[in-house]
Amino acid sequence: MSTFLLMTITGIGLGALYFLVASGLTLIYGLMGVLNFAHGAFLSIGAFVGLWFATSIMKEATIPNFILAMIVGGLAAGFFALLMEQLLITRLYDRHIDQVLVTVGVALVVGAVLGGWFGNDLRLFPTPLWFLTGINFFGAIIPADRIIYIATAVGLLIGNWALLRFTRIGLIIRAGVENRNMVNALGINVRRAFSTVFFLGGFAAGIGGVLVSVYSSGVSPLIAGTYLIYGFVVVVIGGMGSVTGSFVAAMLIGVIKQFANYYVTGLGDFVIALLLAGVLLVRPQGLFGKRIS
Amino acid sequence: MTLRWKYSRYFLIVIVAALFAAPILGTNPLSKPGLQQTLAVAFVFGALALTYDLLFGFTGLLSFGHALFFASGLYLTCIFINHSVFVWWIAIIASILLTSLLAFLVGAASLRTTGITFAMVTLAFGEAGHVIVNRNFFGLTGGENGIALNAELIPQIWVGVVNTKYLYWSALICLILTYLIIWWVTESSAGRVFAALRDNEMRVQVLGLNTRNFKLLSFVIAGALAGLLGSMMLLLAGSAAPRFAESNITIALLLMVILGGAVTRWGAVVGGIAYSFLTTRMQDLTQNGLFAGLPKYVSGPLSEPAFLLGIVFILVVMFAPGGLSGAYYKLRLRSISKKYSSSK
Amino acid sequence: MNALELADVSVRINQAQILHGVSFTAPKNQVTALLGRNGVGKSSTLKAIMSLYSPTGSIKLNGTELIGTPTHAIAASGVAYVPEDREIFATLSVKENLSLASRSKISSEKMSRVFEIFPDLSTRQEQRAGTLSGGQQQMLSLSRALLNDNQILLVDEPTKGLAPKLVTEVADALAEVAKRETMILVEQNLALVKRIAQKIVVMDQGKIIFEGAPEKLSDSVWVQSVLGVSNRGKHS
Repeated sequence: MSTFLLMTITGIGLGALYFLVASGLTLIYGLMGVLNFAHGAFLSIGAFVGLWFATSIMKEATIPNFILAMIVGGLAAGFFALLMEQLLITRLYDRHIDQVLVTVGVALVVGAVLGGWFGNDLRLFPTPLWFLTGINFFGAIIPADRIIYIATAVGLLIGNWALLRFTRIGLIIRAGVENRNMVNALGINVRRAFSTVFFLGGFAAGIGGVLVSVYSSGVSPLIAGTYLIYGFVVVVIGGMGSVTGSFVAAMLIGVIKQFANYYVTGLGDFVIALLLAGVLLVRPQGLFGKRIS
Repeated sequence: MTLRWKYSRYFLIVIVAALFAAPILGTNPLSKPGLQQTLAVAFVFGALALTYDLLFGFTGLLSFGHALFFASGLYLTCIFINHSVFVWWIAIIASILLTSLLAFLVGAASLRTTGITFAMVTLAFGEAGHVIVNRNFFGLTGGENGIALNAELIPQIWVGVVNTKYLYWSALICLILTYLIIWWVTESSAGRVFAALRDNEMRVQVLGLNTRNFKLLSFVIAGALAGLLGSMMLLLAGSAAPRFAESNITIALLLMVILGGAVTRWGAVVGGIAYSFLTTRMQDLTQNGLFAGLPKYVSGPLSEPAFLLGIVFILVVMFAPGGLSGAYYKLRLRSISKKYSSSK
Repeated sequence: MNALELADVSVRINQAQILHGVSFTAPKNQVTALLGRNGVGKSSTLKAIMSLYSPTGSIKLNGTELIGTPTHAIAASGVAYVPEDREIFATLSVKENLSLASRSKISSEKMSRVFEIFPDLSTRQEQRAGTLSGGQQQMLSLSRALLNDNQILLVDEPTKGLAPKLVTEVADALAEVAKRETMILVEQNLALVKRIAQKIVVMDQGKIIFEGAPEKLSDSVWVQSVLGVSNRGKHS
């Protein structure tokens, strides 16, 4: 029983990391039709800026300092995302394939710059000691860092929901996901919503980057790739454009992967690929996606 | 009036003949095994870029999983030969057939989606392939280190540095074969349907053709050829390693096609050869301290080939969407129309 | 005085020429009806005005050129668009649809004006717009346009696909709106056109073939322009 609980909660913790990557991807895709390959770059930028802040500005690895580093990493990635959107994406308005290609280019350049500056070896991220302790949860000893991942993901989900639900920009984003042209035809510049979504997506990915560094016990330009691909899988399974769908799919994938890996080492990725194929065969639009006619 | 240069076919024959003859024509750069090896690899990537052009340029399918079929040809050939399942040439044929089957299955599932979703799904399948070879299931793929090809089980003319020229010729033949097959496919009636699919899928549906089957056909042909090129790569590299299954390979192919220019065939080949050749050379040059005089924060990124490539790539996408061959045809169009208007 | 003036407006999409030099004017405080068979370019003309297509030629709103202006700026300058398929936001509530459309802070006065015309909507403010009936969706789409102070309303086939009882209801509402707004109305329902339009523009194959007062349009052209009888006669 306690093993079952442990696997489930650590799986949800992993799913929380996937969700941080996928939430931005799905909103950017839903609103603008852009498949953002640079999302992994946002993750790396968040991780490296967070690392710089945690080591150079903050000397001690306390929990408040860590949270601060997380926010700084998120902001850095958010502003980078905004910059990319303003400089490149907006100039390729409605050229979807070219937008994808440009994000591939940005991913290459950012990867090369970070690799050139810091090398591709893992750099240790200063982690508060508490993260390494275990928490007794109905007999299962849960690593404390998982709690942080889950809390952050849930916090982000709630924040996202509140923004979409209660603010005017949120209203514009929801309407824009449904019908971009009509939002424009009502006299609202939908590009403002694009910029907001890019910033928020970058912010979430940047925070994800810091947490991923703790999870993989270090920062490297190479770790973003795997999470980006899992982000894509989550978005496809959850349904393009649906944040809730991404949350559910991320948790599902995290838990399934954890269980599969527990029984046969290395089976997890394979099972997820099968799950993806299965979902596509039965429901090509994803679990929470709208039917594409 | 055609945009094609009227001597282009003769020009091509001369170049191919020169490339064939170069290794045995006295002393020239191509008589050294080093350059032969580099160029042979570049030929394989040129051909692979051409198969990607069939998907992306000619059929309009933005696949991020093409490396899967390259790696499948590579690994299956290696496994069949090493475990003496088949003689080398049957091993190559069998791996091409199995790769075609894999392409059929992956294509059938992925083509239930279109556009950007298709891109994501093929990426996920490609990555699944990378993960599988990385994990060393049943000890077949050798995990992260890959597997070395047992050189005793292949014809000896492909073994050893002195025999590099045979590998070079084989790679060149693979490139020509791929070019001819893709030329034939794209000029056939099926090829015209592919192009129509790219331009306006609805119009093809109205004609009563099943669009998904045609896309699948294109996907399988490109996959099968990638399998063949995987076998060739195995001979060149002497081993099968997970790096051949990475999504970075597919992204590189996309770069080659965009930089060379899609839908012109020769654009993709030139893009592929140039890309492969230059990245190899860049690595040699930076290791020899090309950027040694510069401060580290400048030389670091510069010595990563991806840095300059990424920047060139962004610039081409933003400002020169046709790539190299597109720019060439634009120039030709301008000179032809100038001639036309001055003669009037 | 003309609210909107189109001169030699053409639209190409891919290889197809959709509008061939459309020119007409829409006078202020009048309803101009745009008629013609299906597929002659009526909706495309409205989309061209909204910059949803990229037209060439000239489109002037009170003397200001609209071509080259982005869609949102055109709408913000007072061109309200009620598209053919209503295009309400199905996942948003009625209230959210309205508050999104309102360019200034939504006043209760404006709201009550809208609910006066469409009493059906006032009781359904929290309902998701996707669950409304076709007629109610049309009313919502019109309400979105009426919330703002407009220079001109572009209304595309508001009675299309509605049950007869609802057609009357929407028509009454439009007649009410027509009293105080400038409008270009694309419509197949001749009774409605005759009831509210002061000016008729007839299109065929991407061109204008008639422009003038309703009285000047002979009955045969009425029938021809909308039902395409002349075209059918040609083939038989």
